[in-house]
Amino acid sequence: MEDITLKNLWKAQDEKLDRTMKLNLLILESMQKEKAASKLNSLARLKLFAVILGVLWALFLGVLIYGNQLQNIYFTVSVGMIMLITIAAIAIYIKHIVLIKELDYSQSITDTQKKLAQLQASTFSSRFILLQTPFYTTFFWSTEMIQASVSKFFLIAVPITLLFTILTIWLYKNLTPLKMHKKWVSYLLKNDPEQVPLIQAQKFLEEIEEFKKVS
Amino acid sequence: MQNNKEEFLKLIEEHKLIIYKICNAYCKNRYDRDDLVQEIIYQLWRSYNHFNGTVKFSTWMYRVALNVAITFYRKTKTSKAIIQLAEADTEMEDQKEDTSELEKNMDVLQQFINNLKELDKALMILYLEEKSYREIGEILGITETNVATRLSRIKDKLKQKFSTLNN
Repeated sequence: MEDITLKNLWKAQDEKLDRTMKLNLLILESMQKEKAASKLNSLARLKLFAVILGVLWALFLGVLIYGNQLQNIYFTVSVGMIMLITIAAIAIYIKHIVLIKELDYSQSITDTQKKLAQLQASTFSSRFILLQTPFYTTFFWSTEMIQASVSKFFLIAVPITLLFTILTIWLYKNLTPLKMHKKWVSYLLKNDPEQVPLIQAQKFLEEIEEFKKVS
Repeated sequence: MQNNKEEFLKLIEEHKLIIYKICNAYCKNRYDRDDLVQEIIYQLWRSYNHFNGTVKFSTWMYRVALNVAITFYRKTKTSKAIIQLAEADTEMEDQKEDTSELEKNMDVLQQFINNLKELDKALMILYLEEKSYREIGEILGITETNVATRLSRIKDKLKQKFSTLNN
């Protein structure tokens, strides 16, 4: 099949195309209003929702810390760390929203698609939040509790916290689309609907890199 | 602003075939296709104020339209329902009888393009639209050498497909 024949076949399809769309100014104006809720903005809306929830949670934690007035250092440090991780998460989400809003579709396809896929793949989701876990095992500690039973504290409470810390770090390092070759990671991520777009974004990023290579 | 809008609509009218072809290549489902046409026009209008003429209007338009189509395609392809509907559409097309040689070849070409990966699909559309390797490279963000290498591979596969069909 010659190049010219291929191009002629492509041109022949012009006649078959559905050309019912009639453009006018009214349609354009109503479209502008409709598209405030554009499909492509859904990612930004989802992140905005997460930011609102995150801010409310951080405020609640702030109230708890303020109410405690440094009476219990374990409580203050634990809740403070949970709050810091939440604030960091909010900051990352806000940065993502700005990037989405600033995304320029008139840049080259590989550049724009790479930015979009990076945005989706970098969504820290549950993996980042995981880092809070060990602090949920320490916020109820108190000097009185430790003094009441030092042996119980070092034999039960400390090992539990250590176990959660090791498990959290291990999960944080391994629960990533980059470790999809591991069977258990693949199983966990594929069964988590929140992770599916991230895996696809990661795969697409690899495709873009491959596409840009001259081989 | 009103003049700007009218000028934009005139340009879209002139180039609307490009939009239809891109939507046709990235969406088999009619309802999705209508959504995609709207989405592309909306994004074109949004970006129009920043169009400064440093690239040709058609280059700028292809970039926006293809970027929106690829993003839309990647968002919708996860939905099983949409995939099923798209398959239903394809099946119906497969059942058509008494099609001429030209129509058969058009269907083969369309199906071949539909089965290409997102970026290869964009490359093939631009080639069939008779864009130069330089312009294709500008739109996609790759080198002319890369355009030539990739196109040659895709065309080889397509020629193989046609020769299998004709033998």
